[in-house]
Amino acid sequence: MQKNYFDRVHKWGISWDIGALLILLAIPVTISTYFNAWPPLKVLGEILLTLIPLYWITAVAEVIIYVPMLGAGGTYLSFVTGNLSNLKIPCGLAAMENAKVKANTEEGEVVSTIAIGVSSITTTVIIAVGVLAFSPVLPYITGEGSAFEPAFNQVLPALFGALAASYFAKHWKLVPLPVIVGVIALVFAPTLGVGILMFITIFAAIAGVLILYKLKWL
Amino acid sequence: MDFTDFKTGGLMLTIALGVIAFVIAQSLFFIVKSWKHAKELGISSSTLKNTVVSSILFTIAPAVSILATVIVLADSLGIILPWIRLSVIGNLAYETTAAQTALEALGGSLTGEITDTTEFATVSWAMTIGSIAPLVLLPFLCKKLQKTIGKAVNKNETASKLGDAISAAAFIGIVSAFVARAIAGTTADGTGNAGFMSVAVLVVSIIVMVILELICKKFDLEKLRPFTMPVSMFVGMGSAMLFEAVLPAEIVNFVWR
Repeated sequence: MQKNYFDRVHKWGISWDIGALLILLAIPVTISTYFNAWPPLKVLGEILLTLIPLYWITAVAEVIIYVPMLGAGGTYLSFVTGNLSNLKIPCGLAAMENAKVKANTEEGEVVSTIAIGVSSITTTVIIAVGVLAFSPVLPYITGEGSAFEPAFNQVLPALFGALAASYFAKHWKLVPLPVIVGVIALVFAPTLGVGILMFITIFAAIAGVLILYKLKWL
Repeated sequence: MDFTDFKTGGLMLTIALGVIAFVIAQSLFFIVKSWKHAKELGISSSTLKNTVVSSILFTIAPAVSILATVIVLADSLGIILPWIRLSVIGNLAYETTAAQTALEALGGSLTGEITDTTEFATVSWAMTIGSIAPLVLLPFLCKKLQKTIGKAVNKNETASKLGDAISAAAFIGIVSAFVARAIAGTTADGTGNAGFMSVAVLVVSIIVMVILELICKKFDLEKLRPFTMPVSMFVGMGSAMLFEAVLPAEIVNFVWR
């Protein structure tokens, strides 16, 4: 049963993934064809040389780290709509936590997929409505000088504080090492991007588990 | 929206609506399939409905923040291309780097409004080339990775216990990265410096979450549990507004990074 369901999810996921790829590629092709404005080949080569090492290596690491957490359906959805670390992953984690199901089980798979699907639709609708109806007034809500500005500047600490409380209470033994390692990394490299920082803290957390396991403290 | 400007004209609007339709169709497809399978697994409708409601609540504030980044990019690229890009895969840091790289390759920069169609098209190519990497990799890696992990953790009871602990550790690693940033991080443009406000908001949302969880436990309010996380997040954000209003500027603006 398990094998069948996951196999089906991968089949659907790959089909939608290829569809998304074609749509994404169609965007610049359509723009260039319609405006008869093609980038010079030399320029395109320069862009490829700069961006591919920058983003494709990160992409390999992201896929390896996120797949086990998001499950199959959640992965295929999240990588199309993006905003993984600041939205899709916490959303999937919170849903599995609330429903009391584990990642890498069929129950975890369906709950995280529903949560990520709902989150993707909500985000898409909020951005679309915001752009079409509220773009002239949005700077007054989130921009400098607005009453809401302090709140929107602190979305991530508020979001991860709530998530941390529920995870940290349950797995308190695993918490100190990754947080301390993360803080030390930031002391030496304050502007470290969250993508790289996350690899460091995940590595520290897993190393912590293995040490505690060896010491039989887990 | 200025329909006479090529960046916000009919073609771009049509592309945006097409992309949105695709994203919503894909999400609905997976929600329906998962919902059906959840019922087969015996997961209750109320659990699934709670998942939907709490995911919507959880998403609102981050989505408004993403919307704000669309507006930031709109100055130079018009509003529709950033709208498309942030609806599929994109994020502000990536889109800005891609646009900047493209314009620099053409001898320009991202400081002013783009008025040349070749510059605009080149930016759209750059944004696409970098961001499609995960979509190219997933068909080859996703199934293999999941199978390997499934096999490893289902080998025996010890492996399964260790597997659970490692997956909990990976989640904790992610959360720790953001907690560490609130304590000691900063951003290249200096807008996200760790200081009084980031730590105070972090602490407030942790405390509110703990209190709400205790209330749910003590009074057996299982139905309210899915709302504890979004509510804690909103209270945390609200506390930032309160601190700004009541505390002296030297405290709320105090940063150590």
